[in-house]
Amino acid sequence: MVNETLLNIENTLFTITMLLYFAAMVGYFIFIASKKELLARISYIVLLVGFVLHTAALISRGIGAGRLPMTNQYEFAASFSWGLCLVSLIFIKKYRFDVLGAFAAPVIFLVIGYAAMQSKDVHELMPALRSNWLGFHVSTAIIAYGAFGVSFAIALVFLCRDRIAEGSFLDQHIPSKSKLDMIGYRSVSLGLLFLTFCIISGSIWAERAWGSYWSWDPKETWSLITWLIYAVYLHQRIRKGWRGKSAAIFAAIGFICVLFTYIGVNTWIPGIHSYA
Amino acid sequence: MGKLKKTSRFLGSMQFAMILLGILILACVAGSMIRQGQTYSWYSEVYGERTASLIMTLYMDDVFHSWWFILITAFLCLNLLLCNLLRLPQLVRRWKRMGSPEAAVRKESGICADISGDPEKLFADLKFGGIKEKSGPDGGRIKTGTRGRIGLWGAWVTHLGVLILILGFSLGQALKEEYTVYGVPGQTRQIGDTDYLLTIEDFQIGLREDETVEQYTSELTVRRASDGKSESGKTQVNAPASMFGMRFYQNSTGWAARATVEKNGEELQSEIVCAGDFIAAADNPELVIYFNAFYPDYALVEGSPMTLSSELNNPGYLYSVYYQGNMIGMNALTGDDVITIDDYTVRFSDPQTYTLIAVKRDSFTPLAFAGGLITLFGLMIALFVWPASIWAVQKEDGTWHVSAECRKGGQLFADEFRENAEKYRIE
Repeated sequence: MVNETLLNIENTLFTITMLLYFAAMVGYFIFIASKKELLARISYIVLLVGFVLHTAALISRGIGAGRLPMTNQYEFAASFSWGLCLVSLIFIKKYRFDVLGAFAAPVIFLVIGYAAMQSKDVHELMPALRSNWLGFHVSTAIIAYGAFGVSFAIALVFLCRDRIAEGSFLDQHIPSKSKLDMIGYRSVSLGLLFLTFCIISGSIWAERAWGSYWSWDPKETWSLITWLIYAVYLHQRIRKGWRGKSAAIFAAIGFICVLFTYIGVNTWIPGIHSYA
Repeated sequence: MGKLKKTSRFLGSMQFAMILLGILILACVAGSMIRQGQTYSWYSEVYGERTASLIMTLYMDDVFHSWWFILITAFLCLNLLLCNLLRLPQLVRRWKRMGSPEAAVRKESGICADISGDPEKLFADLKFGGIKEKSGPDGGRIKTGTRGRIGLWGAWVTHLGVLILILGFSLGQALKEEYTVYGVPGQTRQIGDTDYLLTIEDFQIGLREDETVEQYTSELTVRRASDGKSESGKTQVNAPASMFGMRFYQNSTGWAARATVEKNGEELQSEIVCAGDFIAAADNPELVIYFNAFYPDYALVEGSPMTLSSELNNPGYLYSVYYQGNMIGMNALTGDDVITIDDYTVRFSDPQTYTLIAVKRDSFTPLAFAGGLITLFGLMIALFVWPASIWAVQKEDGTWHVSAECRKGGQLFADEFRENAEKYRIE
């Protein structure tokens, strides 16, 4: 049974969240332009508050719709931006890497903006989606996509690093190239691990729902392509010592592949995942 | 190096793996972009004749079952197997050597610090365990420690998992039995060419208040013809039934109706047929009726048949008539309409929903899932457990020279070491 009051609350919280993400993005840009560290701290707090409200919005949606809010384009995009924000907040804090916010916040804002363009209608779940595996499968996808999104932002920072004058304000606020490379690697590792969780849980679920744990459905195939691309990334780091620029370019390509798996496949290639 | 050894080295190499993964990525892209399982004429209409020929020549119409895709997958398995076999002795040696004081004496590392006091405090701060102590060649003591030693096995376990996963999947694809059985409650049908008969005892569509479908449920009984033994079960979407080692999946549903064929007013045959079925006259197989589709609330809108609701308000049966393989007519029946062809009369009645059950027996599914879980475990330790070793050599003045090594940790590990060593560092 749909609870309209909670859905209205979700709508309001979602709008405020979007505004806060936008404000954080602008705040980070001004931090870089004005070279005032305080602005980075304020932007981080704004992003954090946005994240808390975003969490509340998703909970309201879940209770309001009477199910997990992860079953259509709007819900997944909203959850995807939530995952991106979560991983970004952790990485900014853990590695004391404020500049990452200036690169991650636009990605978060774009994804939540994409969510805002989708239909917010609540539909009842079709029988195939009524499974305990839904929460596990989709939440692992959200974290995986979030981590890949952050690796994309780190890759962009890395590629800009060369243009930054030594000893400048930005130079002091961006980790060294070797450290950036390691942070990017950690983020890809997190994404790959959760993508593997996602593919395996999806396979177990597909076996129960459709009788086949792998059907070469476009979504499955593109998830595999993404997995293989990041597997190549990890191997090339060892084999050819692909660190730094090459690794950053590869991580960026990987995220484009993630976006295609998420948006492109749903839009252009019909399959059994077409509801997602 | 012998030719065989050289070949096996290449087949198990990372370079070969990269080539295979690259081809697999391209194959997967092609397999998802080009619609699979279509005919030459379909491809030629969509892509043009030349591209259609290329698609058919390269088996791009069925990429994932083509001989070359299977060959690449087989090579990948060989690569994983050889890679693991060739690396095993080296891994065992590294495992044994890691944290050994004898090996520590000979090692150099750029990550180092001279400290005062017992180095075990620093070891503990950095969460190193497995501490060993020994006297060095020049009389001073040597202390060593390790952390995340299991991480050494990460890539090896991941490769093993992927290998088991591919083997389980491939064996399943090659040896699984797969059938579909459909019918209405009360009907009994043979499961493919097996010894088993499936009776559909009941079929229910659970609806919500807003008339959307909540669940499909089929009650089934399976009987083995040879000994009469039977088992019963209930299957729902997301909750398959298991009987006689087979899994029964609630796959889909549709409309069925009773088709009655009469000749000169006498009933020739009467049977339940599903939309999509053919009915041949019992005494004249050249006369065939095809039951195209069923519309529970039939209406003709702008010349096209459609249903106005899912309620059985005005059943409409779309059919085609074939004679000697040629279609001679197509129309829709409603109410008491009948099809009349010479002496034959065909009528549809008693519309009802049928259930379609997918029946599968794949003994290798658990193997594939086990491979998946091993892969997951392998990745976890490969990516997040960074094996590191630390060793401290006592100098003549009683202070210690501490060094550490973590291949995967790079700058992050170096920073962690320096931050922790700082408080013990000799001024």
